Amino acid sequence: MFISSFMSAPAKTVTPGTLLPEAREIMVSGSFRHLPVVDGKDILLGIITDRDIRSAFPSEVMDERERGEYLQRFATLTVGKIMTAIVTKLSSKATLDDALILFEESKIGALPVVNEVNQIIGILAINDLLTAYKQLFGLGVRGSSLIVVEDDGKPRALTRLTEVLESKQVPFTRLIRTGGSGWNSNGNNLIYIRIHSYNLSGINHALADAGFQPVVPAAQ
Amino acid sequence: MSPQKTLFHISHSRYLQHETDGDDHPEIPARLEEVNCQLQRLARTNQIICLEPCEAERRWILAIHSNDYLLRFEETALTGHSYFGHPDNRLGYYTYEIALLAAGAGLAGIDLAEKEPHATIFCSVRPPGHHAEKSMALGFCFLNNVAIAARYWQDKYQRRRIAIIDFDAHHGNGIQAAFEESPEVFYLSIHEHPTFSFPGTGYAEENGTGAGIGMTLNITLLPGAKDTEVQNAFTRQIEPALEDFKPEVLIIAAGFDGHRLDDMSGLAYSSMLYRFFGQEIAALGRRHCQGRVITILEGGYHLPSLGESFTEYCSGLLQSTEEVGKCSSVAL
Ligand SMILES: [Zn+2]
Repeated sequence: MFISSFMSAPAKTVTPGTLLPEAREIMVSGSFRHLPVVDGKDILLGIITDRDIRSAFPSEVMDERERGEYLQRFATLTVGKIMTAIVTKLSSKATLDDALILFEESKIGALPVVNEVNQIIGILAINDLLTAYKQLFGLGVRGSSLIVVEDDGKPRALTRLTEVLESKQVPFTRLIRTGGSGWNSNGNNLIYIRIHSYNLSGINHALADAGFQPVVPAAQ
Repeated sequence: MSPQKTLFHISHSRYLQHETDGDDHPEIPARLEEVNCQLQRLARTNQIICLEPCEAERRWILAIHSNDYLLRFEETALTGHSYFGHPDNRLGYYTYEIALLAAGAGLAGIDLAEKEPHATIFCSVRPPGHHAEKSMALGFCFLNNVAIAARYWQDKYQRRRIAIIDFDAHHGNGIQAAFEESPEVFYLSIHEHPTFSFPGTGYAEENGTGAGIGMTLNITLLPGAKDTEVQNAFTRQIEPALEDFKPEVLIIAAGFDGHRLDDMSGLAYSSMLYRFFGQEIAALGRRHCQGRVITILEGGYHLPSLGESFTEYCSGLLQSTEEVGKCSSVAL
């Protein structure tokens, strides 16, 4: 559940004094879209994105003389001039949920990860988060299927449900109970379980015996 | 009155000896007893010729599975374990031998199809095969009967271009894995969407790898899908794809667990859909393959629906060209 298992570490970094052509080269050759900016002691100062560099780079539509002047200027510009001083970062103890919330709020594609003294220890891209959730959800692993039952609102629904699965020795990874207003036509919540078994018939019968109605999920 | 048609039914009495005891296992010997009962119904209007296969030779199995896997499988069966790999894959003392006999059915079917190109051939086997991978038993499957048959057809008869149509409710991950890099074997599967259904593979985006890109077609259906959606997919996607591919032979992985009464999937097919499959597949076989088509049983666990769907499928295969012409306009 911690981001530290899914981030890239160590992160490739630059300093405020790094010239833009060099930063651009690092990004292109390593296929990075974000570079954390640090001082000589690896303390995080900011971040620079491929987009920042693209906007500083002379445009193709300029005439030759103008473009030449811009190129000369680009060659002397440093990262410190165009970086974003960091406000959004993750701590080494952050969870996947922390990251999800931050990504959603900040609209940034990657977040630097720092230790207690603000030293960079890694970087987490949105794609790393997708990979983490894919694993957590048991996706792409051969041998699983999703069972959906209605939460009848009676006490201890999840206890009764897991009791059935565990007594039948059915391994499962994902268990989700929808919250809030009703998710199906009866206004009841649904419970989703990703089980690692093909004996759906046996499991359906056992769940029915325990009072659970299987639901056929439908797209809205 | 049209002349009597012949169905070659390849099966073995020993398939019933593959025991999966346990109170609730759906892949049981009674499945084939049900099929055998239905054969008698078919025999009222058709000639049925029953053939028993022999065990597939080890070299044909090794074209798909690893030697180490076969040794582990044999040892697990003979030493009295109740399952292999995962508790789903229950087995008994004879299961290894019987799995070799099940793989043998497809090979016998191919030998027959080569001698009698227009023969209608159905192999009723268990254990089923399409989830089994090179070194992994999965979903009640130990040896991949269909994949082994495809390699045999290529190697023994030089039929290089093979299309495999899999209409079981579940994705045949083992068949896909065996041929996903092959430009010569086209795997087409229509199944319940992998988000909901076992084994969680077979997304539409999976379309082959390397030289095999484009040679895997996964058509996914949402839970509750009915006949019309399948018929549309069949005529709009599967038939044009085969028109381009031009297979020399067809192998059908026939699973009947998409039936609405079968609770192993959320699909809601009627028995009549399987007649449609039979008719269309026979027509494809005539159009592209001079009638060289064999069908191998995969899933189907609700016994009455399995029996009825099997009968409808075979009846569809046996219908003559003129009759299909009349019916397909109704079916659509
Ligand atoms: Zn199936």
